[in-house]
Amino acid sequence: MKPLRAVLVAGTVTALAACSASNMVRQEPEPSGNAEQQQVLQSNNALLYNRLRIVDTRTREKNDLLQVQATLRNQWKFELDFQYRIKWFDADGFEINPDAQTWRQLVLPGSNEANVQGVAPNSKAESFEIWVRE
Amino acid sequence: MRTLTLALLALAMMAGGCSSKVEYGDAQARETVTADFGSTDLQEIAGKMVDDLLSFDPVMKMTREQRPVVFVDRINNKTTEHIDTEAVTDSIQTRLIQSGKFRFVEPSKREQVRRELNYQNESGEVNPETATRMGNKIGADLMMYGNLAGITKRDDNTKDVYYKFTLKLLNLETGIIEWASEKEIRKTRSRSLFGL
Repeated sequence: MKPLRAVLVAGTVTALAACSASNMVRQEPEPSGNAEQQQVLQSNNALLYNRLRIVDTRTREKNDLLQVQATLRNQWKFELDFQYRIKWFDADGFEINPDAQTWRQLVLPGSNEANVQGVAPNSKAESFEIWVRE
Repeated sequence: MRTLTLALLALAMMAGGCSSKVEYGDAQARETVTADFGSTDLQEIAGKMVDDLLSFDPVMKMTREQRPVVFVDRINNKTTEHIDTEAVTDSIQTRLIQSGKFRFVEPSKREQVRRELNYQNESGEVNPETATRMGNKIGADLMMYGNLAGITKRDDNTKDVYYKFTLKLLNLETGIIEWASEKEIRKTRSRSLFGL
């Protein structure tokens, strides 16, 4: 099992959030014991912290390519319309094809969950980060 | 004095009205200028198709022994819009090449390649030891093709567009469709109450 690093970083979610001192939410599920994912949540953006969470991350390696699935939960009662992007990193921590990874759209109804999935661009990927923005 | 101030003010306003500004933007920012097919749709489709193909076991098993050679046919644009579907297949092709799992042939460059090889082998100007030999091209194993369909509906205040992009991979030897994937996109443009 490759060492995994999953981070959810939220960018500007609303104009209001953009005015706050910082608008980053970071969730770091760390591998522990028998490949169980431990959820560690740090946030200095109360707005986003309360609205979007990673509730689960799963990874597997198929055909030499790392695959990831993250379950995002909209904890707000209204619809969240945002973009997400998966950044892939090699063993040395270098991002793979930074310009090639596109932002994908996601509309998440209130109080709902969605699984976002991604496949590594090549077999060198060993870790990933999931970024979200409005 | 007052007339001069007013004249200067009017001049400044006119100059301001004519000014223009150029700014670089994020090429991947969500583009919602109109409901027509746009860059965000292209990126969405390419991302989904590549992820789908790279996680489809039967095709990926073919890539374990050797990298299959793919020939890209055109995407039929069945919408009423003028859409450069080659831009979509170019993005897909680029990312599949960078995955290291597939190789592609370029049918649109055959004539130029033939001309260059004729020059190297028949003009007598190129050292035969350095000339690229003819007749060693690799034939394609798979053909990639697809459709882009669209449905547009509108009334006085709303325009609703629906796109469905379908991509398929055909085994040229057996005639079997080895893989297919779809991506649907719906966009609605509404006019606000005061037309703003």
